[in-house]
Amino acid sequence: MNIEKLKSAHKLLNEYKYELGKIEKGYTNRTLYINVGDNTIKEKPVTQLMKDKFIGGKGFGLYYLWHAVTPETKWNDSENEIVIGSGPIGGITQYPGAGKSLVCSLSPLTGMAMDSNVGGYFGPLLKFSGFDALELQGKAEKDVIIFIDGNKGTITIEEAPEEAIDSHILGEQLTEMYAENEEDKRNISVVSAGSAANHAYMGLLNFTFYDVRRKQIRLKQAGRGGIGTVFRDKKIKAVVIRFAGVKGNLNNADDQGKINRTGIKLHKEIHDFDAQQCRMRQVGTANIIEVMDQYDLLPTHNYKFGAHPDTYKISSKVFTGMITQNTPDGCWYGCSLSCAKAVDHFELKTGPYKGQKVIVDGPEYENAAGLGSNCGIFDPHAVLELNFYCDTYAIDTISYGTMTAFVMECYENGLINKEITGGLELNFGNAEASLEMLHQMARGEGFGKLAGLGVRNLKKIFAEQYGADPVFLNDIGMEQKGLEFSEYMPKESLAQQGGYGLTNKGPQHDEAWLIFMDMVNNQIPTFEDKAEALHYFPMFRTWFGLNGLCKLPWNDIIPASNKHSDEPAKIPEHVQNYVELFNGVTGKNIDKEQLIIQSERVYNFQRIFNIRMGYGKRIHDAIPYRAMGPVTVEEYLSRAERYDGQLKELVGFNPEGKSTEEKMAALRAYREDQYQMLTDAVYKRRGWTMDGVPTIEHLQSIGMDLPEVIEVVKKHL
Amino acid sequence: MIKLNNRACEWEEGLTVQGLLDKKRYTYPKLIIKINNVLVPQDEYTSTVIRDGDDVKVIHLLAGG
Amino acid sequence: MKVLKRKPELCIACHACESACSNTWFKEDNADKSCIKIKEEAKGNVIISCTQCGECISVCPIEAITRDKNGIVRINKSACVGCFICVGFCPELAMFMHDDYIEPFKCVACGQCAKQCPTQAIYIEQE
Repeated sequence: MNIEKLKSAHKLLNEYKYELGKIEKGYTNRTLYINVGDNTIKEKPVTQLMKDKFIGGKGFGLYYLWHAVTPETKWNDSENEIVIGSGPIGGITQYPGAGKSLVCSLSPLTGMAMDSNVGGYFGPLLKFSGFDALELQGKAEKDVIIFIDGNKGTITIEEAPEEAIDSHILGEQLTEMYAENEEDKRNISVVSAGSAANHAYMGLLNFTFYDVRRKQIRLKQAGRGGIGTVFRDKKIKAVVIRFAGVKGNLNNADDQGKINRTGIKLHKEIHDFDAQQCRMRQVGTANIIEVMDQYDLLPTHNYKFGAHPDTYKISSKVFTGMITQNTPDGCWYGCSLSCAKAVDHFELKTGPYKGQKVIVDGPEYENAAGLGSNCGIFDPHAVLELNFYCDTYAIDTISYGTMTAFVMECYENGLINKEITGGLELNFGNAEASLEMLHQMARGEGFGKLAGLGVRNLKKIFAEQYGADPVFLNDIGMEQKGLEFSEYMPKESLAQQGGYGLTNKGPQHDEAWLIFMDMVNNQIPTFEDKAEALHYFPMFRTWFGLNGLCKLPWNDIIPASNKHSDEPAKIPEHVQNYVELFNGVTGKNIDKEQLIIQSERVYNFQRIFNIRMGYGKRIHDAIPYRAMGPVTVEEYLSRAERYDGQLKELVGFNPEGKSTEEKMAALRAYREDQYQMLTDAVYKRRGWTMDGVPTIEHLQSIGMDLPEVIEVVKKHL
Repeated sequence: MIKLNNRACEWEEGLTVQGLLDKKRYTYPKLIIKINNVLVPQDEYTSTVIRDGDDVKVIHLLAGG
Repeated sequence: MKVLKRKPELCIACHACESACSNTWFKEDNADKSCIKIKEEAKGNVIISCTQCGECISVCPIEAITRDKNGIVRINKSACVGCFICVGFCPELAMFMHDDYIEPFKCVACGQCAKQCPTQAIYIEQE
């Protein structure tokens, strides 16, 4: 790797010098705006209104994006922005999971505001360099790199023609290029995409951190919704930040001691209980692969089923043996939960890097389920290879897995054939075909290029160009709002159908995961109970994104106090920790109810943003029937006892002597009706009309009655 | 019969908490188990016998994913 | 290597060790700033101090904790990012935090406390 040669090819387009900032109680009170179209670089003040109403992180991102675009703006218009920011708590080093960056942009998949959260060091280092958020707007003519030196107070935009595009190489090149020496590499973080993001709509952004033990970069992904595609459309190759001098008190918190004590308490809990609970330190999120299978929740064969006899081949035990153990795998300092696992010296069998030994950042649960079981692929090596290539090519593993599962079902049903796939035999279980499709996506060729457009576009193409039955495609295509479902089987949990369907950005479980509370524990039996959960959890979980926090340390470790709690699902002791952290950093004095209202403001703002863009209504909250019940006879018969029982007990329909088709129709009518009744209850609880529009009274009551917001809402009431 | 998470559930003489977990394939590690509203500690799952008519709660602690 | 050894059955909880330690390292008489702690419990006095086991070395995200050539586990305070994972993960509960500082502190077996102990409940031993 000849770094000097790469660097000498750079052409400086603009250089900007700024005064180093000071952080006060979690805020630098300043953001950075860069337009790569005309090379503008400027600073913007953070207003009191932004802090009061939007808090930070995703709140700031949505606020800036709203004001950057019009209802007519498309994802690839130059005024679309990518906004990256942490949040007031982001960058503290004492509490696990406090280094998240939140990324917002208009999505190529949904046409609406997308938000995606990601680890790695960029967000905290951006704040320490003096900025609460970074706005990227415009489109460059040729590939550029933006470099922010947070110690020298300089920002440059440089044309950069020769570096790699794929993240695992580009991240290493730029870390080497911009670090002053080996010791300085830990102070660099790179944001980049990859070659598939040049073509596919499901492109992601990689955020690096430098692993001091492995002496190599690691990649964390802002995966959802195609923001990497927007990044490449702007011809941004990378954004690089350097900040040396991280300490535990750079946020200038109001009460550092309170933060330290809260953090140490959680470190101790993780030390004492993680090995018996989730084994996050040992195997990360992959710990639940076989658990999901045992509860019939692991999507297999495009969400037809929730379990498979071969799951043991990709169980957490298998991956535990492949992960390098006994290294602290936090994606920001102080994360003792350390779920950022890696497989070292992984030898690739296909593609442009065939034969090379690489680090695979994973496996995550979502990858094993999406790239693996959902596609009928139960080969751990294939799962890791797909994982690696998705990351470096910048493809969202969730969208890729769900899209591939859909395409495979279409192929097996003869809706598409080898002629259409260009020879790819996309049967369930064909790992080679999936890998080849992914390589095509990166090259922008053949069926892989088409597949990169995502399930929503494929449904249209298969129906219009290849004569496939659009009703069936809509039943089995697991997307909503244009975004592919994440990897949990929601059929037997009405609340989780709402957890996927009644969301802002599309069916991603980061708003609510209610399957156990609902299906197994039976804690939320009525529509009102479910609606309460579909109010509380999405609001609570939105809050992590406002503050630069990770959700996992909230409930992937359970404190001893929890068994005596009245509301164990909420993990009340940990909720209180977050109240302490917020107050400790900002000096404010919120309680757990005000925490929810902070989220409600931004949540409703995002809903109204969707409405402003022409979406965000009840019709957009409908979900495919595959998410609700058995679409095919095969599915019905596989769980016939369960479904027959429900017909008798819940539907009041005697299944005896009836054909499977008659039983399926009765069950479908019942389940679709249930979803509508749930939607009514949730809208009511959230203060929305029955068309899903937030009412003015509700907006006034939560303090989100900004004039520009009311103006949009008025037209829809 | 017993009540398990407010639903009717079959019962047999000598059924222990662990026996119930095995029968229902409740393999998830983070559980809170109560019988008639009394907490059963994890080290007593195998020794605690469930009686006919008991109200058993097996709360799976995961609101995450 | 040098290690501070403990015989809690000899401890009379005079707390002279805590004073000696905090005076040595922080120039004040403050048990909260001592790297050795005496806890008076019903079953007897407990002496908490570092055994130089090195668990903290492996959990530090930034390799700021290392073992020196004499076997003493030391914190490089300029490299430390103040995450305090080492405090939560210490099996002896002998890594400490005080609100006045953003880095943790621990016993380096300097022996000042042992010199003040009237009953030899603590002493330095070469292992």
